[in-house]
Amino acid sequence: MKGGGREAALRRFHEEEQIERAHDARMLWRLWAFVRPHAGYLWGWLGLLVFQSLLGLARPLVMRQALDGLAAPGGTARLHQLGLLLAGLIVLEQAVSFPQSYWLQLVGARAMAALRRRLFAFLHGLPLAFFDRTPIGRLVTRVTNDVDAIGEIFASGALNAIGDLLTLVVIASIMLALDWRLSLVAFAVLPPVALGVDFTRRAIRVAWREVRAKTARLNAFLNEQVTGVTVVQAYAHEVESEREFAVVNAGYRAASMRALIYEATLDAAMEMVSSVCVAAILWYAGFRSLWPSVSFGTLFAFVVYIDLFFGPVRNLSARYTLLQSAMAGAERVFELLDVPDRDEAAPTNAEQSEPAAAGAPGTPERPDAPGASPGAALELEHVTFGYRPDTPVLHDVSLTVRTGETVALVGATGSGKTTIASLLLRLYPVRQGVVRVLGRDVRELERTELRRAFAVVPQEVFLFPGTIASNVGATEREPDRDRVRQTLESVGALDLIERRPGGIDAPVLERGANLSAGERQLVAFARALYRDPPILVLDEPTASIDSDTEARVQRAVATLTAGRTVLLIAHRLSTVRSADRLVCLHHGRVVEEGTHAQLLAAGGLYARLHRLHDTRAAIESRAAAVTAVGSR
Amino acid sequence: MSGVPSPYTPGAQFRRNLGLYVSGTVMLGAQQWLLAQRDFLVKAAVDALSAARASTATRAALLILGVSVVAAVVRRGSRATILTGARNVEYELRAALLARLHRLGPSFFRSMPTGEIMSRATNDLGQVRLLYGFGALNVAGSALALASALYVMLTVSWRLTLAALCTWPLLALVTRSFSTRLFARNRENQEALGAMSTEVLGSLAGVRVVRAFAMEQAAVAAFERSNHGYLEKSLRLARLRGLMGPVMGAVSALGVLVVFWIGGSLLGSASPAARISRGDFVAFWLALLRLTWPILAVGFVAAVVQRGRAGYARIAVILRAEPELRDGARALALPVRGAIRVRGLGYSPPGAAPVLRDVSFELPAGGSLAIVGRTGAGKSTLAGLLARLLPTPRGTVFLDGVDVSELPLATVRGAVAYAEQDAFLFSTTVADNIAYGFGPSEAPGADLGGPARGEQRYAERVERAAGQAHVIEDVLNLPEGFDTVVGERGVQLSGGQRQRVALARALGREPAVLVLDDPLSAVDTRTEAAILDALEQQLGARTVILITHRVAAASRCGQVLVLDAGRVVESGTPDELLRAGGLYALFAEEQRLERDLDALDGAVPSSPSDGRAPAVEPADAAAGGQA
Repeated sequence: MKGGGREAALRRFHEEEQIERAHDARMLWRLWAFVRPHAGYLWGWLGLLVFQSLLGLARPLVMRQALDGLAAPGGTARLHQLGLLLAGLIVLEQAVSFPQSYWLQLVGARAMAALRRRLFAFLHGLPLAFFDRTPIGRLVTRVTNDVDAIGEIFASGALNAIGDLLTLVVIASIMLALDWRLSLVAFAVLPPVALGVDFTRRAIRVAWREVRAKTARLNAFLNEQVTGVTVVQAYAHEVESEREFAVVNAGYRAASMRALIYEATLDAAMEMVSSVCVAAILWYAGFRSLWPSVSFGTLFAFVVYIDLFFGPVRNLSARYTLLQSAMAGAERVFELLDVPDRDEAAPTNAEQSEPAAAGAPGTPERPDAPGASPGAALELEHVTFGYRPDTPVLHDVSLTVRTGETVALVGATGSGKTTIASLLLRLYPVRQGVVRVLGRDVRELERTELRRAFAVVPQEVFLFPGTIASNVGATEREPDRDRVRQTLESVGALDLIERRPGGIDAPVLERGANLSAGERQLVAFARALYRDPPILVLDEPTASIDSDTEARVQRAVATLTAGRTVLLIAHRLSTVRSADRLVCLHHGRVVEEGTHAQLLAAGGLYARLHRLHDTRAAIESRAAAVTAVGSR
Repeated sequence: MSGVPSPYTPGAQFRRNLGLYVSGTVMLGAQQWLLAQRDFLVKAAVDALSAARASTATRAALLILGVSVVAAVVRRGSRATILTGARNVEYELRAALLARLHRLGPSFFRSMPTGEIMSRATNDLGQVRLLYGFGALNVAGSALALASALYVMLTVSWRLTLAALCTWPLLALVTRSFSTRLFARNRENQEALGAMSTEVLGSLAGVRVVRAFAMEQAAVAAFERSNHGYLEKSLRLARLRGLMGPVMGAVSALGVLVVFWIGGSLLGSASPAARISRGDFVAFWLALLRLTWPILAVGFVAAVVQRGRAGYARIAVILRAEPELRDGARALALPVRGAIRVRGLGYSPPGAAPVLRDVSFELPAGGSLAIVGRTGAGKSTLAGLLARLLPTPRGTVFLDGVDVSELPLATVRGAVAYAEQDAFLFSTTVADNIAYGFGPSEAPGADLGGPARGEQRYAERVERAAGQAHVIEDVLNLPEGFDTVVGERGVQLSGGQRQRVALARALGREPAVLVLDDPLSAVDTRTEAAILDALEQQLGARTVILITHRVAAASRCGQVLVLDAGRVVESGTPDELLRAGGLYALFAEEQRLERDLDALDGAVPSSPSDGRAPAVEPADAAAGGQA
């Protein structure tokens, strides 16, 4: 615990953020795949870009012509004529400019939309374990901000660098053609300028990289101070924290000042360089007494060209920066697309699975499937499973739910009840044992077919932002509105919903924040019922529901279970008595099976669970009494 | 930084860096004056060339070179100076933000979530920096450039100047109309992007439901709608931008054309009053070119100023927020003994129902009290009030007989160490986290290369605290022991380890009163017992208030207080309460049954509590999504 070790550890921790990775041409090649479908526009854009640049560069030549002609008789009339030509050139140039810029944006926006779509679909094909370990916020950033950063190549015209380069070459050629001596004098300043610019730009890049690292550190510090403000206050650590922050803050300021001073230098130098060029040609013209072999028109055209020349030079550096940040975005996006894990729910064999027997819901399609028990709708056979290979959650679990039967799974929290529901849906792959739905191994069923065979009401209801209707009919692109209404009616929620402004079109905020817990539960029931599935897996809600909707929820459960095969995952024992059979799980093993009465009499796990349940009920009722006294 | 309410207004901020802004503006003026001189020198050179006076021309050319170089140096200086001012403003505001945030209480943080605070401290502060840097630079720079260019142009010919200015009203009009529409389209575009983000977030957060219902295609279709919406909006923006370039280009080119045309005519004009020389023409042209940027900048600068002011207003909301808790003026006799008396304590969060009503108890110095109750009974609120993290009402909580609301916050917080349930650790080393509560006198010597003796004492204290919290073995097993960096990117400690480090932080403080808010919820029962043993040894030396849901832990305390719905429903010694057969006895029964169940079928090993809880948790969250 020496100071040196601490220092080194902290330094390593913060420097991690400074690592900057180089981009490569492969990234551009992968992007090309998304741009290719719109290549026609891209070529069109390129053609127009060249045309427009040439038009712009012809202008000073016309001016030269006019100025040189002034001295001659009829010069003014000629000036006016050439002025009209100039006006024509300008109009044409600007007219071309619109499709030129728009086509490029069109290519970019469409390519990025395609990339986003690909990313989004890709994410929905990743195994759930991926989402267990990756923050959702980061994935959202990939789809939105990072793709936008790539799109900036098109939106901000980084590709116009091509036009810039072309402009530079053409200007240089024209100048050489007009007067090669003056051109060489003007260009004499270029090599030192190029060297200086290159040096400064490198320095700027290094400086900004440092600024980015310091910014990250600064924001991380501030964020930590805000999230941990209670601790800071509880330990009266405000002054020390502020002192520490002052160091970070000053470090950031110093780094950004360094970057800014380099930038100010570059800016001033670029501003100066055209003046220096003009001075150089004037000096040379005077020194060699070239006049009048160099006409006034030529001299003027040089002044104009020099100004036009340094515009692109200035732009190139900004465009390079944009390209870099786009490449950084591309790297993050493609890194995600390179994640090799796929959801293993796709069919294992290439031959197309037949669609589920819609005519006979609940009947096993192939009762002769190997190992399947006849009449079993859901079946687990010797399943051992863990989210991590070293920590099994289920040990050798075998379980059968026959068609038309209601089976309740009971057990303490963490005994593995909910995991069974996930395995039936094949949300996670089973490696040991077999899971069968309608008599068929879930590994052989196509995932949509499998998941359409039954509906699940999860323990914690998740609603999507949208409307009530879009949540109830979430499984379809365009929900059938009558069906939505009918479904809500049958779970006894239609009157509640219609009371809201908008009815079934009432908005649902993120995570259903604008609905009560009971209402959310009822909408989730309706969602499960919407497809009228033959099998229902009902993970009982644990969230406390207000007593008004509680009664509705109880009635809805009765509607849901009537006439269906039901696996009820019970967190409260009050609902399990009516089940045909109870299966008790303990630490991931099946320990008891039977009816409520049988198990109670056996005095085993269920009897104990039941006693615990009773004690909890006693606590609740006593607490309720206290509250009642309190509110009097 | 704190103390006197600081005048955080845009003007005051500006005045504090007035020196930089004045000298920067002076430099900008000097630069523009030099550029005007350059234009005249060009005129002299061109005219000399035309008159075949070569030596005059070369001399002028060399002068141009000199003037340009000096102008560039001055330009660099002016930018650096003004931008330094902006960075200073940014620095001051950021420091002021943290200082203010440190003084604000929970009701502020409830009204403004962390994301919002961070957005103001980053995005809005960035806008403010632009206002004070880029904005100030361009307001001053454009005005001076305009003056300098007009000076040159008017000197050359007022007729030509008028001609050059004739397109300006048009240009201003076009800029204005475009920028209004650009603003609207930009916002539409941002909204479409926001809608798409919401769609992605919703769909990915509910990925388990999507899988469970085989809704992937519907999800992709819904995403496609918002993706397409964004595409449409961004193309609309692109069309406007694509139109803006040519229109502005055409208008400004029109101006150039007019100058060229009329200037050309004036060159050959018969009237001597109107005639201009070739040098005049070139100088005029150069001056006109210098105006391109200032004119274009007008629109930008207006937007920068507008956004900067809006950003400032949003930051000022934080800077002007009133702290709920205020320092009292009374002094407390030292050393603090740690006797706690609570009398009729009630608390309601602003605008909400009371969460605590009429709580009273008395705890002598060195005594121990357990507070037991269900989730939401008000236990944590009580802890926060005792540690003076919430505004404690007057005349309700007394430390050594003195009303805590009359004491300075630092005194109370110095005497009361508080360990919270969701252990928050800072992303620094384990040692630094434990030493967090030591106080300024015992700061780690490492930073300053302090005396070895102090360093050793510091290390011993850290180790002692870690030992008492039973986390020392875990720490020594980390890759770098006490120097291991915890936190986001560092080594992830398990939930139980984090709690124990936070407990060590509280113990290391060696406080008079220890308030432990369920600090062992993620620690397995054996370790918990060992920690409680260590705590028991300290009893007498300090007062301990233990908030817990475990009856086993509560039974070790001298007194127990049972809270329900914000009221004290039972109180007494653990044995008394057990015998009374009330809520406490029911809790004991519930936990006995749970233990019983857990022990059943001993064949299956079960000590998941101290493990990395999230790894086991998906068992219950798998089909449920995350709430």
